[in-house]
Amino acid sequence: MENASPGLPSFDYIKPDTIADACQFLVVHPGEARPLLGGTDIFVRMRDGHWKDRFLVDLKALPGMQQISYDPQTGLSIGAAVTMNDLIAFKPAQQHYPVLVKAASSVASYPLRNRATIVGNICNASPAADTTGACLLLDGELEVYSGEGTRRQALATFFTAPGETCLKTGEIVTRLILPPPPHALSGIYIKLGRNKASDLAIVGVTAIGYPDTLNPSGFRCRLSLASVSPTPLIVHAVEQYLDSAPWVEANLHQAAQIAMQACTPIDDTRASAEYRRLMVRNLTYQALEQICTELTGCSNQGGYDG
Amino acid sequence: MISDQSKSKIPSPIGESVKRIDAGEKITGAALFADDIQFGECLLYARIKRSPHPHARIISIDTSQAETLPGVRVVVTGADYPGYLGLYLQDRHIFCRDTVRYVGDPVAGVAADSAEIAQQALDLIKVEYEPLEAVFDAEYGASPQAPILHPKLADYKVANFILPQPGTNISNHFKIRKGDVDSAWDKCAAIVERKYRIPHIQHVPIEPHTAIAKMEADGRLTLWGSSQSPFAQRNLIAQALGISQSDIRVIAPYVGGGFGSKAGVSMEALAVAIAMKVRGFPVKLLLTREEEFYTAFVRQGLIASFKMGCDAQGKLLAMENTFFWDGGAYTEYGVNITRASGYSSSGPYEVPNVKTDSYCVYTNHPVGGPMRGFGMPEMHAGLEQCIDELAYKVSLDPVELRKLNCLRDGSILVTGSRMHPNGLSECVEKTAQAIEWGVKSVSDDPNKRRGKGLALMWKAPAMPPNAGSSAWVEFTEDAKVNLGVGGQEIGQGTFTAAAQMAAAALGVPYDWVRVATPVDTKYSPYEWQTVASRLTWSMGNAIVNAALDARQQILDLVAQAWQEDPDQLDIRNGVVVSYTSEREIPLKDLVIYGLPKPDDQGWIGGPVIGRGKFMPTYVTGLDPETGQGERAVVHYTTGAQAVEVEVDLQTGRVDVLRVVSAFDVGRAINPDMVRTQVEGGVVQGISSALFESLQLKEGILQNPSFVDYRIATACDTPQQIETIIVEVPQDDGPWGARGVGEHPMVPTIPAIANAIYDAVGIRMQGPPFTAEKVYLAMLEAGVVD
Amino acid sequence: MAEHQIAIKVNGRREQLRVSSNQTLLGLLREQLSLTGTKNGCHAGECGACTVLMNGEPVNSCLVLAVECDGAEIITVEGLAHDQQLSVLQQALIDSGAVQCGFCTPGMLISARALLDRNPHPSDTEIQEALVGNLCRCTGYVRIIEGIKQAARS
Repeated sequence: MENASPGLPSFDYIKPDTIADACQFLVVHPGEARPLLGGTDIFVRMRDGHWKDRFLVDLKALPGMQQISYDPQTGLSIGAAVTMNDLIAFKPAQQHYPVLVKAASSVASYPLRNRATIVGNICNASPAADTTGACLLLDGELEVYSGEGTRRQALATFFTAPGETCLKTGEIVTRLILPPPPHALSGIYIKLGRNKASDLAIVGVTAIGYPDTLNPSGFRCRLSLASVSPTPLIVHAVEQYLDSAPWVEANLHQAAQIAMQACTPIDDTRASAEYRRLMVRNLTYQALEQICTELTGCSNQGGYDG
Repeated sequence: MISDQSKSKIPSPIGESVKRIDAGEKITGAALFADDIQFGECLLYARIKRSPHPHARIISIDTSQAETLPGVRVVVTGADYPGYLGLYLQDRHIFCRDTVRYVGDPVAGVAADSAEIAQQALDLIKVEYEPLEAVFDAEYGASPQAPILHPKLADYKVANFILPQPGTNISNHFKIRKGDVDSAWDKCAAIVERKYRIPHIQHVPIEPHTAIAKMEADGRLTLWGSSQSPFAQRNLIAQALGISQSDIRVIAPYVGGGFGSKAGVSMEALAVAIAMKVRGFPVKLLLTREEEFYTAFVRQGLIASFKMGCDAQGKLLAMENTFFWDGGAYTEYGVNITRASGYSSSGPYEVPNVKTDSYCVYTNHPVGGPMRGFGMPEMHAGLEQCIDELAYKVSLDPVELRKLNCLRDGSILVTGSRMHPNGLSECVEKTAQAIEWGVKSVSDDPNKRRGKGLALMWKAPAMPPNAGSSAWVEFTEDAKVNLGVGGQEIGQGTFTAAAQMAAAALGVPYDWVRVATPVDTKYSPYEWQTVASRLTWSMGNAIVNAALDARQQILDLVAQAWQEDPDQLDIRNGVVVSYTSEREIPLKDLVIYGLPKPDDQGWIGGPVIGRGKFMPTYVTGLDPETGQGERAVVHYTTGAQAVEVEVDLQTGRVDVLRVVSAFDVGRAINPDMVRTQVEGGVVQGISSALFESLQLKEGILQNPSFVDYRIATACDTPQQIETIIVEVPQDDGPWGARGVGEHPMVPTIPAIANAIYDAVGIRMQGPPFTAEKVYLAMLEAGVVD
Repeated sequence: MAEHQIAIKVNGRREQLRVSSNQTLLGLLREQLSLTGTKNGCHAGECGACTVLMNGEPVNSCLVLAVECDGAEIITVEGLAHDQQLSVLQQALIDSGAVQCGFCTPGMLISARALLDRNPHPSDTEIQEALVGNLCRCTGYVRIIEGIKQAARS
């Protein structure tokens, strides 16, 4: 029996003044110090006894961490300490990255979103994370600071296993950068929970689409799935298929079928693998149908066929 | 000389939706719950070491290391506490002594300067176990193959209406043998035979269990707790400790939700046992939310087999029921659920031939206890679906079949007793009308299907035949009323209804009444427990009797002073009036100081204090072989509920669009509080139907948190919840009132199941009707592909 | 374990407090300041009974460290009424019958207050979404939603 303790275990709260200090502290205390952003995940796991860090290093007040900005040339820059609600309220994000705003809005509850951060959500590397799909499909990159300087880390290669990333000890993510989105982008996030709201994703489908005259189909589609594989999944097979196949009802169903075959869900307390697979199929179709409707300006019954 | 005060038209508070008496305290955050009480610097914190095994022998417990951890005051085990606890059957120790029987069973306790230190100490307590073969299924547990979990069953003290079967795991076997079921089947035009598995669920009050205990310098004990049952806790803990009930005092502030989980005794005895070892220090024990899920009372799982038959016209002829109740590790409370479901096993119908075997079975699962409905939701879940199926088989509308068979005044019940006047037929009529029964519901979304379902219910307060209530009434100098009760405010509005009834019976305005809170067994009058939807009726009667007692003292006093006949006097709006002389005197002029004799020759009267009690005297025993008896229960509250659902063909998700319920409450003391009980019960019922189950695997709970034990949120509430109040008075209820607290969640599972069938033609096997279950069932049936 | 000196404003009152690293804002309020209106239901950010306003925004105080509140302004349920007068929202929830056991009520009030501050005329759906993190087991949410609508209309 997991006997979660009544309160948080003992630890030392550290608030460094500079990022260099923060980095140094993490390096000097490997395996027993953890960066603290929103805390909504850390405190739960510490009380559970799963994480036993001696030090929590608060990065929120470091320069730039709470900054969110948009530039038409460089895109959206989201500081590591920017909360979900901050992002949702940021008008340029609503305008240019609505699929990310939608995904963030589905996380937990309003009060929790006042503390939870996008970067924190990504760094937790849960395969069920809601915002990771949109960030992946929009070619998100993390800016990572370490003793050796700053580097860019593509999200596509960031996740290594459930709950694990390629970050090394002493590396600190300072911001998430989303490049300017493709023109006329349509995006959708469909989240299936056990009840209507506030649940984790049993299955999460993020899909984006945009016109692409270089493609035989005239469009580009990208698809990411949550909760059906060890790490957030980008279904390249669907992209490839819809690069050339005309976007008509039958082919969207086929694309959904491909997505179903690509995922590797497990049976767990929350849902069975069988149900998850079928929901990937059904919800992928729903997502693609909606995108198709938005992009072609008509329902897929009279779908665009090149 | 009739004053404006007594003349002014004040409505009797009975039947008025007056504002709740406790709302102001609660809306400001001032209302005190057990964890809010301040104890100062000397407060110690307790944590409990619990069994990780579902069934094991305790070989040894080494507490030496834990005892030396700085900040630890004491470590306690069951070695010092040989007594037994239990409400109906004493089968449980305070701390396990030689055997642990469920994951979470308490083995040792620590009191320390902080909860953190106490928690660290738990890891230093070394317990050696020998795991034993375990039982995880009630049918298996009842079979000869299963290991015996309570070898001492024959020796346990037990109430005389509970029938344990020593040498087995069956701690109660309740039988109904009415008529001749075997020969009735041949006469049936249609028979339905079904087996339903109803999973364990839990109450999930938002306030976790909390207990603070202190042994005073004189050796007497005080227990503060979030409690539905201060008197029962006093009684059972005293018995377990072998002390006088007068040596333990229980103080019970506001309860943040109970639903039965805070009735009887569960974790409170642990706090008391630990406190006894650190005399002079209050010791606080809180359950973490995880411990709530693992170790608090659960609603028993049920494996129910139904067989029922009717003639070609739809008249029910026979029912044969077998209930295997998964009672869990200890069934001290749950045994009565077995009985209650037995004597209700026909559902609210007249059935001439009934055979029921209801078994309470020990398993190595968490402890089954009282949860809202006390066996009725679990039983109706399957029964009311069978009724629907039977109707379809004889081509009768399910509502028509119910109308044909539902209980009326004088109907002969499954126990051979007679049904009292009741409004069940009216409930069915009005509910069917309000949901527009017969009008097919259509969704404008091609991927969704709508359906309607209806179910009936009945429930009696399940309690010993002599469960009693008492109350007292006294006054302040300005004639405000202090009302003493032993029943608890757990959110249902007890204190408000109590004040309304006292005000009405006395003849004073509602806002003159104060309820003497918190309930404190040292000062408050005895109340059996706040369970069973019994307070409005039972405690209400006691309150009325106390108020009438006070009223009579006042009228006798004034009659003497005025030389008039007390029968010609009345109290209206806080003023004593005479219908003959038209004289008046306000209560404040006499309730404390009495009245002067003429010419300053002395005084008559004095402080008025009224007392009252109520205990039913007419419940008879039931024959242990047949379950037949003159009067099995005090009364039944009956009702009907209908739902309209929408099923998503893409995901299987069931959306409850609207719910209509009608309950015969006898008399609604506060109609809006009846409605709010219905609304809360409906949503809890929907939650139990669609989302909730305790997922137990080899005795270990897989979903011990809000993350994975989903309960309804604000987004899951239906668009429309309508409540119809039917009032056919209960002969011995205050103003005819009957309880309704539990009843709104009883018919919800089968109503939804019947609606799902109407929508997509799938008969669900058992709740929860999760999206996954519904989708996969539709897939298998070919409704979707 | 490290201790920290913090300056915090709670319900309009300035406090200088000494807190340990692992103390939560919830613990600070209930234990150090004896403001027991804010409740602990799960200590995991799921039930919302611990919701308070931090710098005007609702947060689960069980998941905020006391030391993270240095310089912050906190409003709890005790700070909603002014000069012994209930707020419009508090009165509306009493009038609509939204109070039963009362344990979820403080958290509900805070979430509702924050909702009306940012969206004075919320739709039913917006109200439901704003309250999704505040669990109630007694009321079925019906009267709470009604009460908030009533307050919005005033």
